[in-house]
Amino acid sequence: MKLVVNGNSYEVPCPADTPLLWALREEVGLTGTKFGCGKALCGACTVHVDGEPKRSCVTPCGDVVDKAIITIEGLVRDSVLHPVQQAWVEENVPQCGYCQAGQIMTAVVLLRAKPQPTDAEIDDAMSANLCRCGTYPRIRKTVHRAAELLAAAPPAVTK
Amino acid sequence: MTELSRRGFLGGLLAGGGALVLAACGGGARGAQTLRIQHADQTGELVANLYISVLPTGRVALVVNKAEIGQGVTTGYATMVADEIGVPLDHVDVLFAGANAALRTSANMQITGGSTSTMEAFVPLRQAAASAREMLIAAAAEQWRVPVTLCRAVDGHVEHLADKLSFGELTKHAARMPVPASPRLKTAKEFTLIGKVDRRIDARAKVDGTAQFGIDVSVPNMVNAFAIHGPVYGAKPLTVTADAAKARPGVLAVIAMPWGVAIVADKFWQARAAAADVRITWDKGLVAGLDTTKMRDALRAHDGTGEGQVSKHDGNAADALADADVTIGGVYEAPYLAHATLEPQNATVAVSGGRAEVWAPTQSPTLVQAFVANALGIDMEHVTVHVTLCGGGFGRRAIADVCAQAAMIAAHVKRPVKLTWTRESDMTQAWYRPIYSVKVEGALRGGKVTGARIHAVSQSIALSGKTLFGAALSKLPGPVVDMVTNAALALFSTSSFGDIFATEGIANSPYQLGNFELSSEPVQTKLPVAFWRSVGNSVTGFVMEGFIDELAVAAKQDPFALRRQLLPPNSKQTRVLDALAKLSGWATPPGTGIGRGMARHFAFETECAQVVELSVVRDRIRVHRVYCVVDCGLAINPDIVKAQMEGAIIFGLSAALDQEITLVNGVVQQRNYDTFPLLRMHECPEIIVEILPSDAPPSGVGEPGLPPIAPAVANALFALTNVRLRRLPLHRAWAERGAA
Ligand code: FES
Ligand code: FES
Repeated sequence: MKLVVNGNSYEVPCPADTPLLWALREEVGLTGTKFGCGKALCGACTVHVDGEPKRSCVTPCGDVVDKAIITIEGLVRDSVLHPVQQAWVEENVPQCGYCQAGQIMTAVVLLRAKPQPTDAEIDDAMSANLCRCGTYPRIRKTVHRAAELLAAAPPAVTK
Repeated sequence: MTELSRRGFLGGLLAGGGALVLAACGGGARGAQTLRIQHADQTGELVANLYISVLPTGRVALVVNKAEIGQGVTTGYATMVADEIGVPLDHVDVLFAGANAALRTSANMQITGGSTSTMEAFVPLRQAAASAREMLIAAAAEQWRVPVTLCRAVDGHVEHLADKLSFGELTKHAARMPVPASPRLKTAKEFTLIGKVDRRIDARAKVDGTAQFGIDVSVPNMVNAFAIHGPVYGAKPLTVTADAAKARPGVLAVIAMPWGVAIVADKFWQARAAAADVRITWDKGLVAGLDTTKMRDALRAHDGTGEGQVSKHDGNAADALADADVTIGGVYEAPYLAHATLEPQNATVAVSGGRAEVWAPTQSPTLVQAFVANALGIDMEHVTVHVTLCGGGFGRRAIADVCAQAAMIAAHVKRPVKLTWTRESDMTQAWYRPIYSVKVEGALRGGKVTGARIHAVSQSIALSGKTLFGAALSKLPGPVVDMVTNAALALFSTSSFGDIFATEGIANSPYQLGNFELSSEPVQTKLPVAFWRSVGNSVTGFVMEGFIDELAVAAKQDPFALRRQLLPPNSKQTRVLDALAKLSGWATPPGTGIGRGMARHFAFETECAQVVELSVVRDRIRVHRVYCVVDCGLAINPDIVKAQMEGAIIFGLSAALDQEITLVNGVVQQRNYDTFPLLRMHECPEIIVEILPSDAPPSGVGEPGLPPIAPAVANALFALTNVRLRRLPLHRAWAERGAA
């Protein structure tokens, strides 16, 4: 089966019902996307599929063949961080860091739809992404910071 | 961040002994110096001591013998070292130490816990850096033929007037310099980074997907394992039917183990899919029939009139209660809790020829050695440990049960194995925060507090510890089990009174309550209990601060004013409390519909106090704002201290409001985040943190922010509703108020 991840094509030997998460981690070799719950309850495994945030732990590979899949690694261009990642670093968001790929992937989609989100819109978009370390106050603040960075220098779009 | 294995051969020789102080300053033996010079000549590296090497590039390699569980220890240690040696922070590369007896700096263990990492390293780690700095300066001074006192180390260079040599140019020469016996430490005034740095060194790798956690480990020839654990803790498989599973592509083995069934495949997704084709019957397990509802009643029945071990006795509490004109009291209760680290337990193990090599996200390489050695029947010294980043710890990763299981699978299939637990296994196989039931009684006369009696009943970590560790480490020699158990218990406890974990935070409470009696009583089960962020303090903070609030109500006093009266004057406690009153605007009443409550707690040498503002909407407690003041001595990285306060408050709030582990007929009822909820973004309060300036050495930071939050919420709820909740989690207690 063919997966298009971060602009590259991969032939993966998984049956169609294999969760995308494991195909990404074990067959494509991109481990930035994390396993937290396996039941669409935590958001650690969030990736973009055709620009939409998807829980890769419950997304069968068969559903995303030939669709544009973007992972956390795909946000980085020539070693330059995406503005949302940059904001995350500036504000010292990560503690253990395990949830942060999912948080960032969700925030990127939010900021595309709402370039200047309110706190309530941030809460709405981000409330299904869990963080055991409790980085929420910083995430809320940092999404605003990311909005500023994005307004100043929008990133190129990966297809 | 990788591990510096080539340091192994130097490690043994340069180590001065078990203590970090010796390792940091030692290495004075002749043989060590010869070796240091040879090594420098070959590689250009100055291996100053076990912890610090200066490379010919001028970069500093720092070996960290602690786990990075999100608490920022790598940034903190790098900051101390960079400041002391004289390089910018980004010139320090952190390498996680493997298991090494010379690096057992905490109660004869290599372990991260008890909020001790910064406290423990503040002097010796800077000595290690200062020692390297003095060797570099000595080398430069010798080249320039000037006294060392005229040279200084700045920004990765040694300077004298207009002369300047980079650290990298000096390493070979510096290796020939004697190791300073007592290197001079910078004074607080000279700090350039400590107390000032405002970034984390690990942030970039944690946002671009490159950070390597245990679950990301891959080693040559590795296969993957999926574990099925029984419905009841400790259940053994009786029969396993797995023909269909074994026939699936990629599946290598389905193995019945004493602790469950392992499915091994090339890829984890193959093993996971095959689980659907495995049929298992189980024995009844270790905690058959255990029921937390019944347990709760049983715990409440131990009301202090029976056995009990008196751990503190000042004056006569019984007389004070008899003579009181007002008495108050009740039973405070707290459930079992899981850690629920977002990265599930996992480990990668290779076994061959009586040796094992382990890659694990662990808080204790020493306990990994013990668990794996025990599982395989080999010597602890024959277990090599590589420490990875940890996706959360909170005490869970001090226990290496998953490493033992991975080792047993690896021994069976004779290939390196990565075992990744499901969330469901992680939740049902945790070493839980124990269940507690604490009876409090307070006496007042003429509006003054005259005495208190407290009886704490809990599943005892201290007593279970030995039994449970003993059971988990059944093949290790007794003295080794004692060593690891005692050391782990000692490290995680902040008190040495009676049943330490049952009463820590009460026994050492700074309140002056007059006549005071404290006793405790253990209730044992075979459900494993261990260390959960702030350990006993996670309950005793709730007990003491709820109790003080009740005393204030009975004394018709403001809770802040009463606390101030009962705390030692001019203490850390009153300073923090005064700052909190100011920060939170305590003197001004809260808005309509808002309840405001206060709590404080002293643990891990740190005083932390919080004010909560909340409302209740359709039976849901909505915490709007938390004010937090902390005195943790010198804050090495103030923004990380702030992050730890935020994190501990949110972690504690999740537990205070909604979390509990319950068992029905031996089966843990919570299996994933739907039934063991974490606080979410929209439920997260605004958190305002103030760190009191201090010249005192650093004290604990990772845990002390947690104990005050639950009582502050309960006290605020009382202020708003006149309902006193003494049971966690509060939403359940609220729903069942009046019922019990
Ligand atoms: S792992 Fe997919 S949502 Fe938790
Ligand atoms: S940073 Fe640890 S889970 Fe979010």
